[in-house]
Amino acid sequence: MVETLLLIGIVASVFVGVNIGGSSTGITWGPSVGAGIVKKTTAAAVMTVFVFLGGITVGQNVMETLSEGIITTDLTLAAGVAVLFFIGLGILVANIFGVPVPTSMTTVGAIAGLGLATGTLNYVTMAEIITWWIVTPIIGFWVGGVIGRYLYPAVNQRVDIKKSEGPLLILDRQGTVPTPAFGPNTTWRELGTTTVVLIIGCYMAFSAGASNVPNAAAPLVGEAGLEVTNAVIIATIAIGIGGFTIARRTMDSVGGELSDIPLLAALFVMVTASSITTALSYIGIPISLVMATVMTIVGIGWGRATRPITFREAVSRDSEGEDREIELGAIVTEEQKDEPTPPIGEAETEEVLHGSDLFNPQAVIKYVSMWIIGPSMSTILAYGFFVLVPGVT
Amino acid sequence: MLSSILVPMDDSEPAGHALKYALENHPDAEVTVLHVVGAPSMMMGDAVGLTLEDDISEAAAERAEPVFDRAREIADDLDRGIETIVSVGHPARNVLDRADDYDTIVIGAHGSDRSRASHRFLVGNVAETVSKRSSVPVTIVR
Repeated sequence: MVETLLLIGIVASVFVGVNIGGSSTGITWGPSVGAGIVKKTTAAAVMTVFVFLGGITVGQNVMETLSEGIITTDLTLAAGVAVLFFIGLGILVANIFGVPVPTSMTTVGAIAGLGLATGTLNYVTMAEIITWWIVTPIIGFWVGGVIGRYLYPAVNQRVDIKKSEGPLLILDRQGTVPTPAFGPNTTWRELGTTTVVLIIGCYMAFSAGASNVPNAAAPLVGEAGLEVTNAVIIATIAIGIGGFTIARRTMDSVGGELSDIPLLAALFVMVTASSITTALSYIGIPISLVMATVMTIVGIGWGRATRPITFREAVSRDSEGEDREIELGAIVTEEQKDEPTPPIGEAETEEVLHGSDLFNPQAVIKYVSMWIIGPSMSTILAYGFFVLVPGVT
Repeated sequence: MLSSILVPMDDSEPAGHALKYALENHPDAEVTVLHVVGAPSMMMGDAVGLTLEDDISEAAAERAEPVFDRAREIADDLDRGIETIVSVGHPARNVLDRADDYDTIVIGAHGSDRSRASHRFLVGNVAETVSKRSSVPVTIVR
């Protein structure tokens, strides 16, 4: 009986892991794959290695929170399997409807539902986690804003990331010992930037492992039946499978979306989001890598779009506030009024393209609402389940 | 007699049908094709990419070019000329803001690649929103 249950649990854990692998490999390597710097297979392989490293080191802190921090008792195997099913359900909903449901938050929600139903919820820990969930997007947004406003334009003028024709490095076989040499069009600069892109990708893969491995592994750890190391290995393999299969698609779609922004900006986003995620995982707070990523992206765009106006005006629209909206757009678009009108049939650029139009808060609010609805739903569903089926715990 | 028609287009199939319908059924009208770039999306990639460009209008025009090329091809086949406008931001809102300048709007029933639930959730169905709120008559083409 116990073995069957454990097997079901492992299958559920693998399902969760494969899906996590698909989405996190997408955001982590999408930009570099899109820019032609890394191949998809290389990306998946490197991903697997660093996900494991992240999961086995920093990820342990998160695992502890999930399996013994949120609820005052240890997760039993049956309860762990049930929790995994709710995580899987969240992923299923996300996949079918294409709506971003953050896995880490769904996991916490499901475990919290269990805690509520059995009266073992640790409210102090939950309050701490929820506080970080509110603070993190704001941090991401502001860091992104500062980068977009001050740092990005300056760095963008000096750095130029591009990929030349031909392989980066070749093996020079003319000597007695084959030595690596530059490819036909490789420069020191290209080698340098490619290395940086790779290192940042590895860093993000590490943080993805730290924050996501626990979702798949924690419900099966401890009293539930598996050793931490084994659970992490299973989760890593599952994430790797996801990286080699599903991620081929997500690197194009999720990552492709990221590739719509210049690689340099994407790298800034990746460093910021990974640092936030790793830091929070280190103190044991389960956090969604996607959440940190999205808020940093929105912050960068916002920072850049508001660059021509002063900081005070961007934040408080008090002084001559009414005209601000219009001016914002007018400054971002260069003066175009005096240009001659192109002949009919030719492309005619519209007079004023408002940079501010790109940031309608409604879209961001709708997106953020998923971070509230997702975990809430999983809490309610798990609560209902564990109340109706008390035997499981 | 309709003398000016607005045809909002993206790279979807219905958008092409809409333009063709407009040109065929209103042989004397002046047809303007509007394309909106930088629509809100799952990770805001397109919108943010656009703000990071030095010259937003130039970048927007560049992104709109493929859609306009296709529009011109359709118009050329029917021996007609079209005007083109690029705009940034929320598609439906952009269309509605310009509605008053035209006699009617002809629009494709649905967009293309990003017509998934996530996109509908963030942006909504453009044709639906436009037909509901437009101040001028709207024709929806499949």
